[in-house]
Amino acid sequence: MSIASLQCPQPIRRRLTIAPRDYARRDRAIESFEAGDYLTAVQETLCYLLPGAGAPVFADGKFCFVQGSARVRVHLDGDELALTTALMSLTPEAQSTAALRYVLTRLSATGQLYQPRLHEDTITLEFRERLSLLHPAKLAEVLQRMAMESDSNDGWLAQRFGVDAPDREPVAELDEAEFARALEIWNTHWTSVNELMLESRRRRSVRFLDALGSYAANQVRYSLPLFGSVRATLNESADAYTDKDENPNKRDSALAKCIKEMRQVPVEELRRCLGHAQHAINPLHEGTPSLLTSMLGAGHRMQTTGELRSAGRSLEAALELIADYLYLLADHSWPSEVEAALRTGLDLISGKPWREAADVLWNHANQTARFFGSHGERDRDDDDGADDDVVRYDA
Amino acid sequence: MTPEQNANPMPTHSLDDIERLGVYQVYTGTGTGTGFLIDATHLLTNCHVVQPYREVAVEMRDRSRIIGRVRRIHPHRDLAIVELARSVDGEVLALSDGEQLKPKQGVHILGFPVGLPLSLTEGVISHARQLLDEQYFLQTDAAINPGNSGGPMLDDQRRIIAVTTCKLNAADAVGFGIPIGDVRRFIDEFRAQSVAFGVQCPACEELIDRAVRYCPSCGSDLEANHDFGEYFETPEAHPLVGFVERALAGANIDPVLARHGSHNWSFHVGSAPIKIWCCCSEHLNFSSPMAQVGNRGLNELFKYLLSEQHAPFSFDLVGSTVRLNLVVHITDVFAPNEHEHLAARVRQFIEKADATDNLLITEYGCQPAPETQTDYLKGGDHGS
Repeated sequence: MSIASLQCPQPIRRRLTIAPRDYARRDRAIESFEAGDYLTAVQETLCYLLPGAGAPVFADGKFCFVQGSARVRVHLDGDELALTTALMSLTPEAQSTAALRYVLTRLSATGQLYQPRLHEDTITLEFRERLSLLHPAKLAEVLQRMAMESDSNDGWLAQRFGVDAPDREPVAELDEAEFARALEIWNTHWTSVNELMLESRRRRSVRFLDALGSYAANQVRYSLPLFGSVRATLNESADAYTDKDENPNKRDSALAKCIKEMRQVPVEELRRCLGHAQHAINPLHEGTPSLLTSMLGAGHRMQTTGELRSAGRSLEAALELIADYLYLLADHSWPSEVEAALRTGLDLISGKPWREAADVLWNHANQTARFFGSHGERDRDDDDGADDDVVRYDA
Repeated sequence: MTPEQNANPMPTHSLDDIERLGVYQVYTGTGTGTGFLIDATHLLTNCHVVQPYREVAVEMRDRSRIIGRVRRIHPHRDLAIVELARSVDGEVLALSDGEQLKPKQGVHILGFPVGLPLSLTEGVISHARQLLDEQYFLQTDAAINPGNSGGPMLDDQRRIIAVTTCKLNAADAVGFGIPIGDVRRFIDEFRAQSVAFGVQCPACEELIDRAVRYCPSCGSDLEANHDFGEYFETPEAHPLVGFVERALAGANIDPVLARHGSHNWSFHVGSAPIKIWCCCSEHLNFSSPMAQVGNRGLNELFKYLLSEQHAPFSFDLVGSTVRLNLVVHITDVFAPNEHEHLAARVRQFIEKADATDNLLITEYGCQPAPETQTDYLKGGDHGS
């Protein structure tokens, strides 16, 4: 075993400062819609979904919000609401046929309400609907998915097809110190994953591959504020190597290819794809106590990890636990104390030998689930006067 | 003749050409099944294939569909007779005389498994008279899948020896057919009666033509094992089904003929195939896979497909197939004041699908999609 421990560095990605959603506003939006007050329903839906944006005023019939590098423009047009976000502009040098085919194949689809449209040489994602057909659930779905789609495709389309990415929101670059640290995290991470990949191939264990794939993707997502083409390539690869329904040999090949590609990303390209973006809509899932319980609490998942640990298979046990912590932190937004608790777990084991890491994180996971999970000790503490944040978390 | 040939005699009648046999696919709003002709205008199938509908769609070999009206059902024995809107010319298979059947005797099952075109599966009789739930069945090891229900089970002489009805999910290769004696009696009784619609009493098999609690003949409590009254009522449609079928009727499409299982519809308008389905709990999709892209002029084709003029409809590409799509959100279905507007949108979609496939083929070098009805394309020889 050539790799003796894993580093779990402090993230450069900033903690999201998105205000919690006010579900009462969503309910008011639905009530307004059902009462026929469609404009109020739209405004309440926007306030619910974009809590930091303030009440959008349609005095001039227009409103714009930023999601990563995407600008989503909302405007009233008579009795219709239109949402648009620019995606790419074709240029004479671009591989326009391939780009258009990609848009028709991957971005245009059944089962989604917004669709790509071509205006002269610019492709936008668009949605237009009568106010009387804009139920808040429908509007919320379009706002979230369309913004996310635009944010996740722009840099990738530009890199792959040589198109321009118009009307994008600039993403704040990392300063030199941040970038130096990001580069170190990046290089160390892919070196570690590469070594663990050799271990995975030696063991030929699907379970090990599951944990390694999760770790490979989520460590980067959690620690680095990645966007653009590198993020898109990483996410596309991760879709393949973390797909548990796929043939393990294919997943193994996809992970090996990803490691190779990521290690070959030029420094300047990595610099272009790192930055602190703004998100009007929370791009993460809301973490819940039941998720903590299912991931870290007593149950089949932790039982099998515990069996690995007690059988002396510390590397597998530690890797599974680390991957689970990173998944919880990378994909979910948490109240600050839960996030701090999860972070503490990673700090405790960063750079520690596998056996120690497995033991420490196992105990920490059980403790975290007991305290913050559903029906945990935290629940009982709430009875004697908890602060607002606590009430929101347990709701 | 070798001893082996003696042991497995060649069938007297060939099953090489199953396409000409009077075995057809039955479509309802809950699923699909199989039915076979008992004469030129009547089809026999399972009760569970047609229930709870009184009208079903029956698809011919050329993919045209005709209406079938349910005339008789026997819920207990799982049999139904459907009267077709017109006579059809498929070959009527003979019913077996009901002679002694034996284990290891060959069984040939015709049907439309999992919605595939007419297929033949083969096996042997595992038990000629298996008792299950107080009824006798013919048990076979031949493959039976959803969609086979109501199809004929044939012997080596190509005579119907049973009607496919079910299989055990928890076991491999344990399928069941309704014995021909029961089938023959059901048909004979139907032919001796003139009631437009009737249900046979599960206990005494007397025909009942109205919703009653107790059998007028044997006094059995008809509600004991079945919701008997429901056989005489039109089922209440889910709001989503109601919305789609009203919109189709508004576009001059018979919704009964368009039904293709639960929350699914499919039909042709002119040359264009149209499919309607729910992909999740939130979206109702209308889609027409209308053409396949060629090798030249793709840039211009793709620009046309993405142009804003098509809104609120959109095109996408699945492999090389061009689809025209319309998506309706489930919340729209529950906005009755807007149904007229949405029905107009559906009508426009259907009209556009029929018009656009021709345009893609003549102007942009596309080929007809596999499901395009090329006879209806305007001008030129588009092949098949």
